[in-house]
Amino acid sequence: MIQDPPDMLAQPQAAVTPICDPISLEIIVGALSSAQLEMETVLERTAMCPFIKEKKDYLAAFYDAEGRMVAGTVLPIFGQVVEPILEFYPLASMRPGDIYWYSDCYQSKGAVSHNSDQVIVAPVFADGKLSAFAQTWAHLMDVGGMRAGSLSPDATDIFQEGLIIPPVRIGRDGVINNELMRLFERNSRFPDMLRGDMRALFAATGLGAQRLAELFARFGTEIVESAFRQLIQRTSIQVKARFNEIFPDGEYSFTDTVDSDGKGNGPFHVRVRLTVAGGRADLDMTETDDQAPGPINFLMHDCVPSLMLGMYLTADQPHQLLNDGAMRVLDTITTRPGSLVAPIFPAPLGQRSLTMLRVQSALTGLVNVATNGNGPAASSTYSIYYLRGINPRTGERFLMQDGVGAGYGARPFADGHDVIYFVGQENYPVEYLNSSFPVRMRRYAIHADSGGPGRWRGGCGVIREFELLCDEATLSLRIGNVVEAPYGVAGGLAAGAGRAVVNPGTDRQRDLAPLSDGTVLRRGDILRIETGGGGGWGHPYDRPAEQVRLDVLRGFVSAVAAERDYGVTLVEGEDGLVIDQQATLLRRGAERQTGLFHRHGYVEAFA
Amino acid sequence: MTTAIPVRNRLAVAIDTGGTFTDVTLLDRANGQMWTAKTPSTPSDPSLGFMDGITKVLSAADETPDHVAQVVHGTTVATNLILEDKGALAGLLTTEGFRHVLEIGRHDIPRKSSMYSWVKPRRPVPPERIHEIGGMLAEDGSELQALDESAVRHAAIQLRKQGVSAVAICFLHSYANSAHELRARQIILDVWPDAQVSLSSEVMPVFREYERTMTTILNAYVMPAVSSYVGKLEARLAENAIASPLLLMKSSGGVTGAQTIRQEPVQTALSGPAAGVVGCQFIGGVAGFANLIGVDIGGTSADISLIKDGKPGMTTRGKVGAWPMTLPMVDINTIGAGGGSIARVSDIHGLRVGPESAGAQPGPACYGRGGTEPTVSDAHVVLGHLPPRLLNGAMTLDVAAARRAIEEKIARPLGLDLYAAARGILALIDNAMVGAIRVVSVERGHDPRDFVLLPFGGAGPLHGGALARLLQMPNILIPPAPGVLSAIGLLVSNLKADFSRTCLQYPPHYDLAQMERVFVEMESDAERWLQAEGIQPAERFLQRQVSLRYRHQGFELTIPWPDLEPDPALAAACEAFHAKHMALYTFDQRDVPVEIVTLHVEAVGRLTPPEMPPISRHGSLSEARRTTQIVHFAEGAEETPVYDRSALGAGAEIKGPAILVQLDSTTLILPGQFGRVDDFGTLIVSA
Repeated sequence: MIQDPPDMLAQPQAAVTPICDPISLEIIVGALSSAQLEMETVLERTAMCPFIKEKKDYLAAFYDAEGRMVAGTVLPIFGQVVEPILEFYPLASMRPGDIYWYSDCYQSKGAVSHNSDQVIVAPVFADGKLSAFAQTWAHLMDVGGMRAGSLSPDATDIFQEGLIIPPVRIGRDGVINNELMRLFERNSRFPDMLRGDMRALFAATGLGAQRLAELFARFGTEIVESAFRQLIQRTSIQVKARFNEIFPDGEYSFTDTVDSDGKGNGPFHVRVRLTVAGGRADLDMTETDDQAPGPINFLMHDCVPSLMLGMYLTADQPHQLLNDGAMRVLDTITTRPGSLVAPIFPAPLGQRSLTMLRVQSALTGLVNVATNGNGPAASSTYSIYYLRGINPRTGERFLMQDGVGAGYGARPFADGHDVIYFVGQENYPVEYLNSSFPVRMRRYAIHADSGGPGRWRGGCGVIREFELLCDEATLSLRIGNVVEAPYGVAGGLAAGAGRAVVNPGTDRQRDLAPLSDGTVLRRGDILRIETGGGGGWGHPYDRPAEQVRLDVLRGFVSAVAAERDYGVTLVEGEDGLVIDQQATLLRRGAERQTGLFHRHGYVEAFA
Repeated sequence: MTTAIPVRNRLAVAIDTGGTFTDVTLLDRANGQMWTAKTPSTPSDPSLGFMDGITKVLSAADETPDHVAQVVHGTTVATNLILEDKGALAGLLTTEGFRHVLEIGRHDIPRKSSMYSWVKPRRPVPPERIHEIGGMLAEDGSELQALDESAVRHAAIQLRKQGVSAVAICFLHSYANSAHELRARQIILDVWPDAQVSLSSEVMPVFREYERTMTTILNAYVMPAVSSYVGKLEARLAENAIASPLLLMKSSGGVTGAQTIRQEPVQTALSGPAAGVVGCQFIGGVAGFANLIGVDIGGTSADISLIKDGKPGMTTRGKVGAWPMTLPMVDINTIGAGGGSIARVSDIHGLRVGPESAGAQPGPACYGRGGTEPTVSDAHVVLGHLPPRLLNGAMTLDVAAARRAIEEKIARPLGLDLYAAARGILALIDNAMVGAIRVVSVERGHDPRDFVLLPFGGAGPLHGGALARLLQMPNILIPPAPGVLSAIGLLVSNLKADFSRTCLQYPPHYDLAQMERVFVEMESDAERWLQAEGIQPAERFLQRQVSLRYRHQGFELTIPWPDLEPDPALAAACEAFHAKHMALYTFDQRDVPVEIVTLHVEAVGRLTPPEMPPISRHGSLSEARRTTQIVHFAEGAEETPVYDRSALGAGAEIKGPAILVQLDSTTLILPGQFGRVDDFGTLIVSA
């Protein structure tokens, strides 16, 4: 569309294929990034289910003609999303105006990892040739299944977790196949929102395809293709270089733990062993425990461990694109079919976040092993609860899916984040919840002492408390790391745990199982959810006492924990809390225990 | 305030305080004549530079203070306090159970940042200065639990003891009922009569507690400084026998009296850039263009805005620094790209430009003040876009230093020749601006090709030609004085205020009578405000607007509410909503019911706009021609004439390539482009 390609450079050295010059390359990066933003804007502003519009559980990305990711993710759980489509629709059968769609976890080998995530892909043509793909995905609130919201901790197979969409062509020549849509809508408890969300996805993906086509027209197909290759290569070189700095030749192993599958089984261990030798890096996960009967299985796509490491390795390079180049930092990933990270069809997957975050903290555990604790401490898994019932205001069925943030691990240079839901997913405003659902929020506060004590404190989780305003509702709940808290590093302590309780502090108090469904709440019941924090980094005695005092004043640390964990004694002075310098000095001067990792006491390794 | 603005008096003076210089423009409304003065800004007490500028411009015009009828000011005091985290020690009263509303935010780790390296920014008010107050309102505003008045009293005493100088109050659901907030303020004032208190129900009575709390906090946070600043300005004016009221530019692109700004200082968060947008609107109008994209390029940043049908694009989802700012403001996209932006080659052979800037000290290498980093300005110098002497000869550029910086730090590492490297730097910065222009145009459903580009600020007219080509925009407008367009904006702006109220209406049961009541209430608030600002009834204009969305959506579009009976007005607004949704998002959904979320009344008090006097027809091209210089265009080096802009009369026609120099800016007309000076001195370039 835009003429006058900037040709400000001397001709590159003679070559058969034109090479994208370094300046055009940066321009193409900028164009991809603004196109991505445009797609996400359309999605966020037009979508209907709160999962997308308020919580922002979606992503947009671009792929080259071979389906390799060029620009996209900040979420390390997707990759190779085009490949599954090609099994049914060869490249040669694709036409401009096509739109493809799927949510099939097993068929896609984990390119999506639960049925709720819908992947939408549009091919992009330049000079009549298929040259790239634009893609979006988003988490839809209900795609059928055993309970409203599709994903239930009660599930025992994937058929209970909502309709499985194998790769299908939903759009041809720019026209959406309404028969398929009718089928999909009929299977949802909230068909209006589902229809609106799918329209938003189609519009956003179509816009992305249009922007890519414009890019090809502006620079020429060969230049853009050259740029795509260079971008992948650039990331690959960068990630590999950082990897080699951190991991000299040797063998590294780490084990992290998932509490339970909600059906009385567990704990489950995620075991990683990394062998680095002669320029190769091989990850062995075969010693990971068997798959679970409950839905905590994580069908891990091959590229996930590399992407998760890639995210860490590019942390100080905010301009670096996390793309296909990061997916190759590990040469092989070996898993054992029938294990927690390679479950066999049709094992349920709906609560895979619990395991996914342990894979992540096992990998950053490897970084800590290799660097003697110069990596981040572990983070709690974000929580979610579903409340289902009839809204007395409308007489209609409601489903409140409230994602609740948790604390993240402290780092060698900073405290962990307080109250984060994975990456960039937002919470529901209290005023939104009160206005839209039969609940009244009573409290939304930092969960004191949930952050692991340390020189750098782990991020804190949160307390969400509400009263039910309808006769009856059922609750589904997921809180991770209740038994096996996120570990601390380099002398930092493990995080505090989460819990859920009904009618706390009354004679009707009930503690709820952290991974459960079917709890019945009645009008006037009060539910309190507390999420866990992140592990601490460095010894808590080394945290400046004044910072600990502020933590107490601000409600992040209790006075009891200040004394017990940080060795800081606070007394009530005339102008509020002051540090008892003498007691603090004495306490902090005493001999201290420490260790590379901490959980249920200091340890040098987790096996 | 009951003083009428005596708009018939002759002189209006505009003061635009920037980081380095304060620009002052004086307008004689009787004949349209203008004088400008530049004086160093005085950051420790900006009122000194403010007054010094006024004195200078009055003496330049040989005028006396008593003829000044209007003083209009654009300020960055609030902006800087927020961006530099230097506001007042403020406190907050919040609903019991929600003390950590700011700490929790929206789980808001920015989407593109790394979870491993991002660090949570420090909130403007820490929890130890946030007090929880008992009392609860329901979502419809009804009272569930009475306000705990003793808790308010206790909090007031505590905050005072803590040395707090401004208090914000934001209770849950106060957008639907302000009673608790009003009562709490009264209690605070009873025990602490000189407390400065901001209420969320006054600052921004709109749903979503984090955003509303943050906006109210920021209001409190900047209130003491802005309030005392405004007081000082008024005192300086009085000392100097200027009796006219002081008006300040708001982020929304309208001005308002000093009294309103004392109460709602956060309204000035984008005061400076908003003035530039109003200036674009005016210059575009004089030249006969209603659809414009303004690009204000300074030393460190570029502010980009869009004007459609003569009206600036607005947003209620803006940001100032890390914080959401949900007040209506001119939709300005600011990026870190300007003349001082530094070019670097990264370790993996990527060339990057900005956002780091060489600033004013040491400045670009070509300033000869010891800077060695290659910047955008150095690229212009190397390519011959800038004459070797600037500011009428007051400043000489160090061409050799510019060449050295680009040669050593860019050309050699990338294996390019000097000129290719310099053109590369400009291509990247232009591309960043193209991306930023797309944000305000394409992403808002506008095709930039339907717009005229209006580059301004010191560096804007150097980039306009290239930007217009990249975006296929047919015309470029270069204002008569691109460097002081913001000051012009101040002179031509109207009084403006926005009144909004959340008023949820679900189909099919729209309560049109209730909406009418809310509209009428807001209109009487608006009338009262215009009356207080001294606006005559004939100059008052009210426009109703509604924010609509499809059922289940979470984002609204604001649509004018036509002046019709309620039923046809609703139908017309819905129709306009479908059309806008289609334009913005590529689809509409006529099978989905439309919900009404917020009602707005926009109040405008019209001030007499200045008449732009036509410029003389004298001044032929050859008279204006000063010299020639070699410019290294992509097509090759070319001997390019340099003209004195002030010597070009109306109707003068210039064929590119050409360089036009003037005191406040330099314009580059590219080969193949063609410029013509219109009757009012604006240069219209066809790309």
